[in-house]
Amino acid sequence: MQPNPVPLDQVDLADLDVFERNEAWGMFDTLRREAPVHWNEEHDGGSGFWSITRYDDIEMVDKDPETFTSTRFTNLEEPPEEYQELRRSILETDGPRHLALRKLLMRDFNPAQLRRYEDFLRGLATLTVDTALQQDEMDFVDAIAADYPIAVLARLLDTPEEMTPQLISWGNEIVGFSDPEFARVLVNSEESQKYRHLPFSSPVSQEIFEYGRKLAAERKDGDGEDLVSKLVNRIPEDGVPLSPEHYDNYFLLLVVAGNETTRQAISHSMKALMDNPDQMQWLLEHPDKMQQAVEELLRWASPVYHFRRTATRDVELHGKTIKSGDKVVMWFASGNRDDTKFDDPYTLDFTRFPNDHMTFGKGPHTCMGSNLARFEMRIIFETLLPRIASIAQTGEIDRVRSNFVNGIKRFPVRIESKQG
Amino acid sequence: MTTKTTVREHEGDMLVESAVLGADDVLVLTLVDPDGDSLPAWTPGAHVDLILGPDLVRQYSLCGSPADSRAIRVAVLKAPDSRGGSVAAHALTEGATVRVRGPRNHFPLVTAPRYVFLAGGIGITPMLPMVAEADAVGADWHLFYGGRSLASMAFLDELSAYGDKVTLVPQDEAGMLDLASILGDPRPDTLVYCCGPEGLLGAVEERCAVDWPASALHLERFAAKATDAPAEGERSFELVLAGSGLTLVVPPDRSVFDVIQDAGVSVLGSCHEGICGTCEQIVLEGDVDHRDSVLSESEQAANDAMMVCVSRCRSDRLVLDL
Ligand code: HEM
Ligand code: FES
Repeated sequence: MQPNPVPLDQVDLADLDVFERNEAWGMFDTLRREAPVHWNEEHDGGSGFWSITRYDDIEMVDKDPETFTSTRFTNLEEPPEEYQELRRSILETDGPRHLALRKLLMRDFNPAQLRRYEDFLRGLATLTVDTALQQDEMDFVDAIAADYPIAVLARLLDTPEEMTPQLISWGNEIVGFSDPEFARVLVNSEESQKYRHLPFSSPVSQEIFEYGRKLAAERKDGDGEDLVSKLVNRIPEDGVPLSPEHYDNYFLLLVVAGNETTRQAISHSMKALMDNPDQMQWLLEHPDKMQQAVEELLRWASPVYHFRRTATRDVELHGKTIKSGDKVVMWFASGNRDDTKFDDPYTLDFTRFPNDHMTFGKGPHTCMGSNLARFEMRIIFETLLPRIASIAQTGEIDRVRSNFVNGIKRFPVRIESKQG
Repeated sequence: MTTKTTVREHEGDMLVESAVLGADDVLVLTLVDPDGDSLPAWTPGAHVDLILGPDLVRQYSLCGSPADSRAIRVAVLKAPDSRGGSVAAHALTEGATVRVRGPRNHFPLVTAPRYVFLAGGIGITPMLPMVAEADAVGADWHLFYGGRSLASMAFLDELSAYGDKVTLVPQDEAGMLDLASILGDPRPDTLVYCCGPEGLLGAVEERCAVDWPASALHLERFAAKATDAPAEGERSFELVLAGSGLTLVVPPDRSVFDVIQDAGVSVLGSCHEGICGTCEQIVLEGDVDHRDSVLSESEQAANDAMMVCVSRCRSDRLVLDL
């Protein structure tokens, strides 16, 4: 459904309450139409940012790292200069070094490599669904969406099964870093100042680092095929080995990047299917179109609202001057609702093809796990949908209080199941 | 041994005297010599290189008046997929300097009693001095100018001075340029000049090939494209998708990615420029012409994987494990 329009002078994309209420969409619409380059003040001490909301502009920014750099960090938070090196991962690296680091694992996520995991994924999806459907009242997030992505990652990292719950709670704490319910220490709170040397300014990062280092020590010089072994034993293409800090941050990114995001993609997708019974029906009748449907569900879900860049020089865009040093925010979620790119963007349409959404970004930093996330989604829905006789929402949805992750915390449903 | 004669081209920094939006996403730059010196002479159809960075050289047609030896004018369309060239040019503001090489002319206006000018979008730029000249010498001419919408079409004010010699065809109101009727009357005394996006150029070439004299058509391929991998000279090849059991053809103007997608086979991509690695596919057979920025030289040489959004094939047959 088309969101309610929001007058330009009421647009504030730094106000997290707006996101908790799921009301950013109307603001995106206004900005795309009236103010495609829009200055937004911040209320927590941040220096403010430019919002880029049109599809074409976002693509242009994401593809021009020389002008819009990632090296000054990519969330709204502005880590102090002295901690930036400690906290830097591939997300905050550009140029040849970025490519060299990215390539350490990039090709391990290509479809051909991922095919090796298909049986494992199907088994895991079946187990997840079987377990969940033992009751008919459940929180969909908890019962189905939450643990599956991290269990896949645990397999790719080859961590022991008993560690999986720990990985899940780490992931929750890190990614919900602006939500009081999840974060042990809220970002930009007084206490977080103690942890500004750590990613997400969170003490949890330290725990994840330590676990990652333990794995690295065990696997160094081994011949393991898991991602950790590859990370510690491969030399980046530019010949410069991975520093211990770079390893820490790479490992952390793997643990968190594909966890919360994929979970949200699955939860939003289920909600979208329930809200659009005609599309659900169509999909049940066209099981061979699952992959195409997944692309539309990803456009719809937009689990990552934005990534941030920083201008390296003055840039004139749509009559506004972005000054060198200004933060520039690419609202991918807005690009996914741009009606110059998508007909009827607020209609869920599984026949949309091609579907060139920007859920995973568009440039050299395009999500490395995009093919994995797509694969996970396809398999969980291929497993789950045939098992649902009926599904209904039984209570309010709670959303994550964040303008970074577009997240659902609680999604109570009743499922009447059948044998698949 | 052969010796190469190098003709020295004019190259130097120029001052941006003004930078104004001429239409949606079209930035019109007026450039002057920083010391106020007079500029090299040029003729309609000429272009210059703007050197925007070490690897960022873009060509822009001159769209001011050749009689003006004090300033030159170019217009830049912001195209999101031109690898930053237009972005860098759009970042130029009044008072900035930019390095300029040229002018040179690969698209000169040959004297003729009659002209048909066809412009698509930003392809209007070389046409402006051309129609001015044709008008000044009293030739019989007509300009057909197509664009996405009136708001996207630059220089409408200046063109209004020519009255009904100019036909505007905004696509959102009037559809595409009707080439069948515009070029429906081949005449030996008429030359056809065309500049615009590849789709228009190809269609005009095809139309003129039917019954126009071979030398009638003059066209300039889109300035921004000239330094990117040119679509001209691309060859077509056969594409076999081993897993799906399909045999397809990749024509010169389509990517492997597009052809796979058109055939209804799922292929995933993101950047479509060979910079993200999302679209990698396994190659079973064929001599891959790698054009991505992701695979290293040795990975490219291994010839067992390719980025299908940009890379092509040198041999006649490409077999993918898809
Ligand atoms: C639906 C689920 C997911 C979404 C929506 C998502 C979204 C994104 C986005 C928007 C970016 C930044 C793109 C840019 O700046 O242009 C990104 C980067 C990244 N993602 Fe994902 N992601 C998902 C799943 C995953 C998974 C499963 C993994 C792997 C385990 C992963 C690993 C990464 C990594 C390593 C990067 C950094 C790439 C770089 O900087 O070069 N993501 N993701
Ligand atoms: S789609 Fe990015 S490399 Fe092909």
